[in-house]
Amino acid sequence: MSRTALHNDVPERIHPEDGDEECPICHSKRYLRRDMRFLINPECYHRMCESCIDRIFSHGPAPCPVAGCGKTLRRHRFRAPTFQDLQLEREVDIRKRVSQVFNKQEDDFDTLLDYNNYLNDVEDITHNLIHNIEVDAMEQRLREYEAANRQAITENSKRSNQGMRDEKRRLASEKEQARLRQQSAASEAQAYKAERDAARRNVISQLATGRGDADTIARRGQTVLKKSKALREQYERRPEPVDTGFQVKGLKKTVKAGPVNPYDPFDGLTAKHEYGIVHDNYRWQPLEQAKKDRRIMAGGYDIDEYCSRMLTDLYVGFGVFVGEDEDVATAGAGMAAMTDTVMTDVS
Amino acid sequence: MRFFIDNLEVLFPYPRIYPEQYDYMCDLKRTLDMDGGKAVLEMPSGTGKTVTLLSLIVAYIQQNPAKRKLIYCSRTMSEIEKALAELKALMKYRKQELGYEEEFRGLGLTSRKNLCLNSSVKREKSGAIVDARCRALTAGFVKEKKERGEDVDLCIYHENLDPLEPDNLIPNGIWTLDDLLQYGEQHKQCPYFTARRMMPFCNVIIYSYHYLLDPKIAERVSKDFPKDCIVVFDEAHNIDNVCIESLSIDITEDSLRRATRGANNLERRIEEMKSTDAEKLQNEYQKLVEGLREAEEAREEDAFIANPVLPDDLLSEAVPGNIRRAEHFVSFLKRFIEYLKTRMKVLHVISETPVSFLAHLRELTFIERKPLRFCAERLTSLIRTLELTSIEDLHPLQEVATFATLVATYDKGFVLILEPFETDTATVPNPIFHFACLDAAIAIKPVFDRFGSVIITSGTISPLDMYPRMLDFNALVQESYPMTLARKSFLPLIVTRGSDQGTLSSSFQIRNDPSVVRNYGDLLVEFCRLTPDGVVVFFPSYLYMESIVSMWQGMGILDSIWKHKLILVETPDAQETALALEAFRSACNNGRGAVLLSVARGKVSEGIDFDHNYGRTVICIGVPFQYTESRILKARLEFLRETYRIRENDFLSFDAMRHAAQCLGRVLRGKDDYGVMVLADRRFQKKRAQLPKWINQALLDSETNLSVDQAVSQAKHFLKNMAKPFPPEFQYGISTWSLEDLKAYQAKLEEEEIRMLEGEVGPEAVGPNRVVDEFDDIDEEALMALDP
Ligand code: SF4
Ligand SMILES: [Zn+2]
Ligand SMILES: [Zn+2]
Repeated sequence: MSRTALHNDVPERIHPEDGDEECPICHSKRYLRRDMRFLINPECYHRMCESCIDRIFSHGPAPCPVAGCGKTLRRHRFRAPTFQDLQLEREVDIRKRVSQVFNKQEDDFDTLLDYNNYLNDVEDITHNLIHNIEVDAMEQRLREYEAANRQAITENSKRSNQGMRDEKRRLASEKEQARLRQQSAASEAQAYKAERDAARRNVISQLATGRGDADTIARRGQTVLKKSKALREQYERRPEPVDTGFQVKGLKKTVKAGPVNPYDPFDGLTAKHEYGIVHDNYRWQPLEQAKKDRRIMAGGYDIDEYCSRMLTDLYVGFGVFVGEDEDVATAGAGMAAMTDTVMTDVS
Repeated sequence: MRFFIDNLEVLFPYPRIYPEQYDYMCDLKRTLDMDGGKAVLEMPSGTGKTVTLLSLIVAYIQQNPAKRKLIYCSRTMSEIEKALAELKALMKYRKQELGYEEEFRGLGLTSRKNLCLNSSVKREKSGAIVDARCRALTAGFVKEKKERGEDVDLCIYHENLDPLEPDNLIPNGIWTLDDLLQYGEQHKQCPYFTARRMMPFCNVIIYSYHYLLDPKIAERVSKDFPKDCIVVFDEAHNIDNVCIESLSIDITEDSLRRATRGANNLERRIEEMKSTDAEKLQNEYQKLVEGLREAEEAREEDAFIANPVLPDDLLSEAVPGNIRRAEHFVSFLKRFIEYLKTRMKVLHVISETPVSFLAHLRELTFIERKPLRFCAERLTSLIRTLELTSIEDLHPLQEVATFATLVATYDKGFVLILEPFETDTATVPNPIFHFACLDAAIAIKPVFDRFGSVIITSGTISPLDMYPRMLDFNALVQESYPMTLARKSFLPLIVTRGSDQGTLSSSFQIRNDPSVVRNYGDLLVEFCRLTPDGVVVFFPSYLYMESIVSMWQGMGILDSIWKHKLILVETPDAQETALALEAFRSACNNGRGAVLLSVARGKVSEGIDFDHNYGRTVICIGVPFQYTESRILKARLEFLRETYRIRENDFLSFDAMRHAAQCLGRVLRGKDDYGVMVLADRRFQKKRAQLPKWINQALLDSETNLSVDQAVSQAKHFLKNMAKPFPPEFQYGISTWSLEDLKAYQAKLEEEEIRMLEGEVGPEAVGPNRVVDEFDDIDEEALMALDP
């Protein structure tokens, strides 16, 4: 994260509306140079023209030329602003940073109220950051939260990225389908017209060549036209085109139970040692020997297995687990308490 | 006259009734009897539709113990006033007949602008300002302030209402808008709030479409009406456009600038309040934690802003946490506005769906969909908390908030179109961001869902089945009534060729062809010569009218018209047009006669009647197609095709024909009226079947596909006939029925029904003195198609 170093002494107003017309550094005007482009640097959000940037920063970092700023800027960090209002440009950068950390979603919460309170708290932090209120404290909170929830954050961002991709794909395919439908409608209309014209020409040419009775020819022409009319009506009654791209809409969003765990044949029964820690190595003569003894190892004897069995035997007797009542229970509570403190800390 | 339909006694305030009125009543009753009955009914203009409707429905309401309410919607003030007057006359007649006065209330509602009595407020020109100033005088907290002894102004007309009984602010009876104003003046009580507050106690309410269809207003005014209301949309041929407009928003750079200013003002007010009255903000915050519904309860009868409807579940949900605090919300709004400003910078046309708009918005500014949906409601709540009555630039801010809510609520049936340039040739950008509703069904859906009976009716609403398709509902009754006439009192003509046999058409390829223009000119000159009094001409657009008139000027055609008639022109400016109309009327009245050149989609074609001598001939020059290059129209066409399977051409031609029919209907406002209707375009020939039944039926084959000289001789003949005196007695028994005629007809029907039940006669024999000729549309079209 390179942007964490946002300083809290950003000038109050950064060129409101008219900043696009004149460069504050070299005072060249857009009026004279149509192709003038203004860039900003997210260090201080001062706007300046491209040629100034070339001139000042091409030999490495230099202080910002705007009077009273003096922040050290690097050339490669200059970019074109998205918004005219640079205050907003900065705000959005902050929001981006905050939203990358606080990225919980509604279904992470038990109740809507909790979620809303969470949103409220996040917004408070953001608001303060934007308006330079207690920035250090806010940054501190942000960092703490990030450190405490690193795993959840990555998972959530993965999830939302996936969601966004799905959405994009769906949009694209919808667009494509609309285009296809339009095309087919147009071609149908054209076909109808062509057929009608052909029929009409046909009748006229028959009338012109003068073979057969005029009335019969006209009537025959009519039946052709009627047919095409029927065709057209058929179009109107045609059922909705069926989606080919397997796009089922309106489905409830499938609730993904957090990150997908790999398939677990033991259904949650862990092989992990619950009681005590199994070390890789025990300095004990017979074990060391056994490890080296080919006769033992060739049969597939597993030293770790042996150790863990021994440890289990140590803790478990007659179906009574030593210390389970205390340790396991308090461990869970401790976890909850930990997240709690983190959350309250945030708020 | 009094008569029975089944067992419903109808009191009809005239001694004679038209046969189609009787049929109309029967169908109406059928609709009302059904649970959830929806009907589309087309009744020829000038046959007393309103009085028919009212007398049946009033009879129905009065006879049933359920006492259903009637909500009658019309388009313009004058139509509302007319309907109220009809209702008043009807109730007077009922009193006479029944011998006692019924307990029956009827009121009309229109904007404050029309109903305000406060001399300083009503002087304002714009309706929005009247509304705002009135609110400043009547809002709840203003009164509280007064009670606390602060020096604030109140409106005395509003205050005087408070001591009155809330359900009896005005005596029993029907009150037209004028009556209401007079009563208000006498008793010094505000007519607007009298009407608003009496609404729940009225049997009949007459107001404009918007109070029911515009979700921003409907929520406020029409929310509490019971389910079993009878809803009538009169003059509903344009209802789909009303629906669409009520949900569409246009945003300009200027409005965004003002919205920013509004947001800054809000910010300032929040700061102020924080230092003086932080408790209020905290209270609001607490309420918002609970949910909007709670906050809603504090809503006053007339809160500051009207909001688009939110789905019910949303209302009971809590406001998202990140816009709960006032300052967070304002910065949220500002961010959204800035984003829109950035979008406006783009220099090419963009058309996108709400979904992709939201995706882009989120990517750039981290604004999620959910808080966006709450935007409008949240703003209302904030403004209420801040006790603002009117601050500058609040209106554009509301607009943006409404836009936010709409765009986040609906993902189907809307499109966002950014047009950076006003015209294709312009070089200076003047961007407009259109948020266009494409689906008329969205706005009207709550009405269909909520109310038992909905009746959509107009003089020209053909083809009937188009409306249920566009508005997405099931019409149980669909009927179009022919006009029964003792003599043919209007002459529809389709003129396709000039006297030189050259084609007449306003189609794009040939519209500026001098020979076509000259032929149109000849047509107009001829008709001006032979028509007594008024002639009304409709062009498809202002642009075309301008170009054709200037060409006529060069050809000397205007000079020859000048010899016979005064020439007046409609302009987009309402006041100029009003002047032109006045001059037109006086010219017709003093016998010289005049010709009015107007536009088929303008004000004249929609709301002005040219009865009797004001309109003896109406000429439709060209088919009034919409301007198809409009991107919004294109998007709508595509939507209609994709969603309702309505083809582009069908819709365009339907739309053109309904406007043409509206124009034609302008001259015939009653059975004693007469007039010539000229459709001057080759393409009308094929579209004949799309005319309303009553016009199409009167259109004989010998009156179609005419050249100008043929048309002129037909019209001459017709007008000569019409000039003969025609005493009303001639109509008796044929196009107007006395009570005896009606009874005879009923008896006959009954007899036939019995015989039918006995299996002797087929169903065709019903309807003795009306011959309805049905065309075979297919053959018709095929024949036309053959015509090169
Ligand atoms: S209360 Fe009535 S009279 Fe008073 S300002 Fe408002 S609309 Fe006008
Ligand atoms: Zn520069
Ligand atoms: Zn700087």
